[in-house]
Amino acid sequence: MNETFYDKIFKPKTYTLSNGKEVKKRASRTPLILLVVLILTVVSWEVTGVDLSVIPARGNQFIVILFDMFPPNLNFLGNIWGPLFDTIQMSLLGSITGALLAIPFALLSSSNIISNSLLNGFFKLALSILRTLPTLVSALIATFIFGLGTMAGTVAIFLFTLSYIGKLMYEHIESVDMGAFEAHESMGLSKVEAFRYAIIPDILPTYLSVSLYAFEGNIRYAAILGYVGAGGVGLLLDERLGWRDYPSVGMVLLILMLVVFVIERISEYFRMKLT
Amino acid sequence: MNKSVQLQLEKAPNRKLYLTTIGVILTALLVWSILGVNITGFSQRGLDIASNIVRGILTPDLEFLFDFTSGGGVPYLLFETIAIAFLGTIFGSFLAIPISFLMSPSVVSRPVAFITRLVVIFIRTIPSLVYGLMFIRVTGPGPYAGVLTMSLTSIGMISRLYVDVIENLDRGILEAMTSMGCTTYEKIRYGIMPQLFSNFLSVTIYRYDMNLRDATILGLVGAGGIGAPLIFAMRAYRWNEVGSILIGLVILILAVEIFSNKLRGKLVNG
Amino acid sequence: MIEFKDVNKTYPNGVTALKNINLTIDQGEFVAIIGLSGAGKSTLIRCINRMHDINEGTLMVNGVDVGKLRGKQVRSFRRKIGMIFQSFNLVTRTSVINNVLISTVPDLAWWRKGLGLFPQEKKVDALEALDKVGILDKAYNRVDQLSGGQQQRVALARTIAQHPDIILADEPVASLDPVTAKVVMDDFKKINKETNMSILINIHHVELALEYADRVIGIRQGEIVYDGKSEEVSQEVLNQIYGSVENIPKADDPEEADI
Repeated sequence: MNETFYDKIFKPKTYTLSNGKEVKKRASRTPLILLVVLILTVVSWEVTGVDLSVIPARGNQFIVILFDMFPPNLNFLGNIWGPLFDTIQMSLLGSITGALLAIPFALLSSSNIISNSLLNGFFKLALSILRTLPTLVSALIATFIFGLGTMAGTVAIFLFTLSYIGKLMYEHIESVDMGAFEAHESMGLSKVEAFRYAIIPDILPTYLSVSLYAFEGNIRYAAILGYVGAGGVGLLLDERLGWRDYPSVGMVLLILMLVVFVIERISEYFRMKLT
Repeated sequence: MNKSVQLQLEKAPNRKLYLTTIGVILTALLVWSILGVNITGFSQRGLDIASNIVRGILTPDLEFLFDFTSGGGVPYLLFETIAIAFLGTIFGSFLAIPISFLMSPSVVSRPVAFITRLVVIFIRTIPSLVYGLMFIRVTGPGPYAGVLTMSLTSIGMISRLYVDVIENLDRGILEAMTSMGCTTYEKIRYGIMPQLFSNFLSVTIYRYDMNLRDATILGLVGAGGIGAPLIFAMRAYRWNEVGSILIGLVILILAVEIFSNKLRGKLVNG
Repeated sequence: MIEFKDVNKTYPNGVTALKNINLTIDQGEFVAIIGLSGAGKSTLIRCINRMHDINEGTLMVNGVDVGKLRGKQVRSFRRKIGMIFQSFNLVTRTSVINNVLISTVPDLAWWRKGLGLFPQEKKVDALEALDKVGILDKAYNRVDQLSGGQQQRVALARTIAQHPDIILADEPVASLDPVTAKVVMDDFKKINKETNMSILINIHHVELALEYADRVIGIRQGEIVYDGKSEEVSQEVLNQIYGSVENIPKADDPEEADI
């Protein structure tokens, strides 16, 4: 048992058995962890100014908006289709291009495919950094570079998809069993041929399934990108919430829910088939 | 060729039609979306801004980045973001416990589980920014609204993952405890709770990682955190400030991700 | 002492599991119960601690009429009977010692139960139980880090810490490899000799049964067809229990619990 710093402060407890044997039990870490969590909670509570008494006093305001959304304004339906299609198109284009570019990124990141640790490290770091940026933040930046509109949203989704699929794929590729690859090389196939027949069949189902999953999530993200001016139904939500036109907001949310639901079912169906 | 070989050869599944159909549909969707998205190249102005952002990241506002004393520096803003995500995750994970039990077909009857599931899907589909705006009506603008939003939006995913834990509980221990003469309470306390605890904790840490990312954007609607200063700095073209915020954000999220992966690895593997 | 008197057991789906069982097992015996899958071995064992109810006859365990026990009485009766399972049935996500301590939970004060605070003497007792099965050094490891054989020994230590008069073991070595199976069987033998606990084992491996048990009970279609010393089990006896030579299970034959 190697002693850590913690064990030096809080001495292990010793139990003596009736036959003379001694057993040492390290002091439990649980009290320390609980203390840390407690302190963090108290500090966070102070910093964020949480005041539970507000909820019973003013919580009805939340419900008021919720009830205002019903019944949804059906007449608003006509205004939704355009932005809705924009949202779907943004996420489709961003997802497809992101998924395609993720392939070279993932291959360049995988140490068992490209044995150059400098190159691997660079691409892995690039994917990690890209992944840290929330979609809305990259959309915000994109609106400054590409101007307001669907292009900015597409770029944001593209970047997120690239980093998400890229990371999952290089993790998968690095864990692929290279045995089949060796076997194919031993049969006289070239490296590229061996890759085609040994590695691709292994990673393709995962790639497709991850891509579909990313697309599912992207529809949700795309729906809010309009907030920063990056096109789609988010613009409508922003505008109608600003005008406190809650029945129309309700209608947008209803349609959004339906679209997300349908797309998730379709994507789930195909993902089930892949696994 | 041998007859049975011939027969078997003809039996090979013909997926050409299926694959072509999918290919055609995908291409059609791609074309449709290319036509739909208003593809703009880089305008001169856009290029200028892009290079400004890069320059801002390379030469960040160091005073702003390392301002530990006042309430307006990057460290404090990140700290506020961490706090919002932390409290939001804690509230959300506690609220998710009863909901996840109501969602588990092995705990409640199927109709109840189905209805709860629908409600959770409903909660999940509303974008967090909409909740943010709704909560601002309750609490006024600020981090408190952010905490409430985080709590509500994390419920959906946390409870779904909790359900998986509940459904995969090892029931063997219950049989063993019955044979020892344990009561139902003892079985729950010593047979089920230890199994739930570490798994629930692992889910919660995972969700914290995601909530931190989400908390950064809540500032965009005025619900606290580092999002609002970012948008102000950009609108005012203060690129060095933008650079400082982005650097702080990336470092924080990377650090938390590494830390949470380590922690969860420890929880799962002991 | 365990006494079956004209015991019959029929499952609600109409399957007869036990027919006219008459059996007496004295304190301190090491008994192996052998037979085909579905012959009623598991049912027989599980009636003893009321995991299953019997339909007819009486079953006395240490002077207690098992069939007449109700609610709380069943639980306190079970405290004196330990049970070991094929699938170990441990909480894998917690430490070895916490698993052993579970067997002492019903004896704790209510506030200790809630907080999970075990008294010092229970902890030492649990450690001694682990020492008896030779895995004292693993006391603070998590169960999922142990091998199958070690996990079954944790389960055995858990039962020892319960200080029962009788240990019932339902296929304890069926999911272990032959070498580990012997180690676990050695532990059973040692406990039987040292503490005079009665041990009843359902077992699929005939060789192990004959090697370790003092007494063998053969069951076929719910009836006892052989009851005698293990040295006296001959090929004819096995044919009688298993029907024919082909049915005698091999050591690697996977085994299912009854019904």
